[in-house]
Amino acid sequence: MDFSLNFIKQFVDIKNSAQDLAERLTSAGLEVENVEKVSDDWVFSAEVTTNRYDWLSIVGIAQEVAAVLGKKIKLDYPRIKTTPKPTKKKILIDNLDDCSYYLGREIKKVKVKQSPAWLKKILINSKLTSVNNIVDVTNYCMLKWGNPLHAFDLDKIKGDIHIRRAKDKEEFIGIDQKQRTLTSENLVIADSKKVIALAGIMGAKNSEVTANSKNIFLEAAKFSPITIRCSRRAIGLDTESSYRFERRVSESFLEYASGEATDKILKLAEAEFTGYRKVGKKTESKPKQITIKLSKMKNYLGADFKTGEVKKILTSLNFKVKKDLPDTIKVKPALSRFDIEKEVDVYEEFARIYGYNKIEPKIPFIEKALKTNPVLEKEENSWKFKNKIRDFAALLGFAEIITYSMENKDELSLFTEEEGLGLRNPLRSQENSLRPTLFLGMIKSIKHNLNRGKENLAFFEIADKYKKKGGNKVDENTFLSLGVSGDRQRFFLLKGAVLEILDYLNINYLINQTKLMSANNALEIKVKDRTIGFIGKLDEKLKEKFGLKEDLFLSELNLNLLGKFKQDKKFESFSKFPVIWRDISLAIDKNTKFKKIQKIIEEGSRHLLNLKIIDTYQDKNLSKDHFGFTLRLFYQSREKTLNSNQVDSYHNQIREKLYNKEGIILR
Amino acid sequence: MAQEIRKIKESFEKDLEKGKSKDFFQELKVKYLGRKSKISELFSNIPNLPKQERGRWGKELNILKNQISSAIEERLSEKIQKEERLDLTYPAKRPQKGSIHILSSVTKEICLIFKELGFNVIEGNEVEDEWHNFSALNIPLDHPSRDAFDTFYLDLAKKDKKSGNWLLRSHTSPSQIRIMQQVDPPLAVISPGRVYRPDVVDATHSFMFYQIEGFVVGQDINFSYLKGTLLYFARQFFSQEVQLRFRPHFFPFTEPSAEVDVSCVICSKKNKQKNQDRCPVCKGKGWLEILGCGMIHPDVLEACNIDSKKYQGFAFGMGVDRIVMQKYQINDIRLFYENDINFLKQFSI
Repeated sequence: MDFSLNFIKQFVDIKNSAQDLAERLTSAGLEVENVEKVSDDWVFSAEVTTNRYDWLSIVGIAQEVAAVLGKKIKLDYPRIKTTPKPTKKKILIDNLDDCSYYLGREIKKVKVKQSPAWLKKILINSKLTSVNNIVDVTNYCMLKWGNPLHAFDLDKIKGDIHIRRAKDKEEFIGIDQKQRTLTSENLVIADSKKVIALAGIMGAKNSEVTANSKNIFLEAAKFSPITIRCSRRAIGLDTESSYRFERRVSESFLEYASGEATDKILKLAEAEFTGYRKVGKKTESKPKQITIKLSKMKNYLGADFKTGEVKKILTSLNFKVKKDLPDTIKVKPALSRFDIEKEVDVYEEFARIYGYNKIEPKIPFIEKALKTNPVLEKEENSWKFKNKIRDFAALLGFAEIITYSMENKDELSLFTEEEGLGLRNPLRSQENSLRPTLFLGMIKSIKHNLNRGKENLAFFEIADKYKKKGGNKVDENTFLSLGVSGDRQRFFLLKGAVLEILDYLNINYLINQTKLMSANNALEIKVKDRTIGFIGKLDEKLKEKFGLKEDLFLSELNLNLLGKFKQDKKFESFSKFPVIWRDISLAIDKNTKFKKIQKIIEEGSRHLLNLKIIDTYQDKNLSKDHFGFTLRLFYQSREKTLNSNQVDSYHNQIREKLYNKEGIILR
Repeated sequence: MAQEIRKIKESFEKDLEKGKSKDFFQELKVKYLGRKSKISELFSNIPNLPKQERGRWGKELNILKNQISSAIEERLSEKIQKEERLDLTYPAKRPQKGSIHILSSVTKEICLIFKELGFNVIEGNEVEDEWHNFSALNIPLDHPSRDAFDTFYLDLAKKDKKSGNWLLRSHTSPSQIRIMQQVDPPLAVISPGRVYRPDVVDATHSFMFYQIEGFVVGQDINFSYLKGTLLYFARQFFSQEVQLRFRPHFFPFTEPSAEVDVSCVICSKKNKQKNQDRCPVCKGKGWLEILGCGMIHPDVLEACNIDSKKYQGFAFGMGVDRIVMQKYQINDIRLFYENDINFLKQFSI
């Protein structure tokens, strides 16, 4: 809302500087975002909260200015003329829910011309343009009372006036010259032939007041805020008028706005008032009386003040205050203040003028229960667990990413058969569905970085996945996703990271080969027969489809299940005796999994601590479908130092077990 | 004997010149000073010499041994020094470290400040229903925030008549409503998480962002406590020097309501008067809007079956993205969700 200080000064005596007034209004809740000097005037730009439709009028702002300065407002209400007789034109309202009240006035023999300087100046300093004396008066009255008015060229209205929904594909050309196609979302004012205004938003070109207009029809109405909101959104057109109707307009000021506009037009356009008609009815009830207990109010605000102060402040807001019992007052809000319904509303009115900044800040003592409520405990543990996993993943060298919870349905279908949860009103088709997998976000983040010359990336994300459950229920669960890019060997870094996490949580797991829709070559991790996650290599065709420059290895772990299966750790004693190693060289054919060798070596072996691959090779002595490597086996006893001969004998036993096994060549 | 000694001397001097590596000198040590060396052999021969000569040759041999030993040690230490000298000016090899997203770490930091005061952290679900997201919060059916322009709705049949449509929460308040419904006061809860609003993405808007909301309900919780709690938070989070300014505002779920500005951390107020245009963060205003808050509307308490005659409380909410942008002077919200490693690594753990 932009307003001119000089306009306000017509109603309140102001001595303060514009900056001082701006600060006072801001502290009282009318946030002044800018003050700008324009000739001998100041233009204020203020943000009006949705509950204060009364601040979309100069009268309302003047009332507020009076309150913050502790002054009285000077306001003359115009005389309302409802004679002469009703106009010949009938006014028909299809639905009173769209338009509950409609006033029409006919003014004849108008002389359309330029507005006088004083009027032009007020409009310009309120960031409106001057058109002609008729249009300018309607805008002046809208500014003053908050009720938008519209003047039609009476001679261009054929037949009766009809307030109805637009027909589908009905055309409308506004006074802005733009053509728009309407739907039944739009409320219109029509005559017997055509649409003459988009109700509450803009008049039509076909009936606008021009220099040649002789007779006019002046509209003042109360349109439904929702109807206007839907209508202007459907065609994407915001105007000063729609802005006000959307937040509601005052019924009591409707007559004043229309009445004052008529008076001014009669004067400035030397015209004659010839007819009045109203349709519909007033729906507003008068503000109710509210009983305030002062002790309660003090306890609510945490401040101490005198009853006199409360009375003074509320009275300055044009509220009626009556003292009742010693601790009680009865308050009747100002006529235009329908937002004041309860005690707390009155508390706020007092507090904002009294000054929020006068209330002393104190820290509450929050009682701690000896036993936390199970609901709170469960929630907080889940939060702590996520933090723990997040810290650990970062410790493992992974960078946390945050990706959108919505993705494109078709892209998601490449990863899972799970039906995604579609959005009714997506912003863009790229994000039209809630994701049942975190892989897509991971792939896109990796891609973003690979395309910028980065390589060997390691990312993780902790986020929710969503899926449909039953007919109309939703399953939302938190997962950890990990992604590692680079050459094939990088897969084992990912696998290692996943195992580190499982060890960290002290979880016993089983790993099996499996296939995923997006990863033909994958491992499944199971705990107590429940699948808790996967690790896999993104399939070549998807790598190509998404244009990834490196291989990508992905993992997803169910955090709820990890949390469920995690176990507390206990100290485990370890051997103090030396570790001795022996190497073994092997070759395996391509159909033999490493897991098989490991199983043979580990089963029944004595004092074997662990093993690792120290070298891999593919030399000319090996056939092409064989692959060679050297294993280093570590031996250790918990009771004694092993001597060389003992270790040789354990090692030979393992060699013998491997000898002559299918697919394994001992070298 | 003299001849033997001379021979050893000559051969040693020749060998010494051949020497290049550390290992070579180690071997030389064994050759000349070891148990099987010529010198040891000569030493062990001394008892066989005539008595009057034993002392003299013993002395001679000791001198030789010491000469050889010190010559070798000298070369050895020279070699060791040479071989082990590291050029410390080579570039550092940094360990591969991970990082925590700045939105996550700031969210945690903020929650921990409130935890110190005794708040419980709760997260709740992102998929919610109309009742929890709007109705319980005193947001009427015709309120603009319920429009499809301001809230994402799921393409799913209504949950039930009371709950209404499924949606993505547009604030974390519904999670708090669920707690108020389930747990009796006194309550102090802080709830962080992802929220969604259909805003077209640009430098300052995102359809997904992070929020932290909190509330306290008790018998004597008043506006003064709201002010103190938020001031405590701001001083812990920004700096001990900051001030807060409470401006009356409107939210359907609180009354009285306020918007809260923090004094600009970048420019002090003094600075503001002198250099109006200089501060890039507050644009010379001296204040930055960071929070919305207020006393919980009695209708909200009643919707959660809390007796509003007995209990009262305050609530507040802030956008994490925005606070992080202000604190770290990040000028584009899209950086948070693009996941460029150059961005992520700036805030590693």
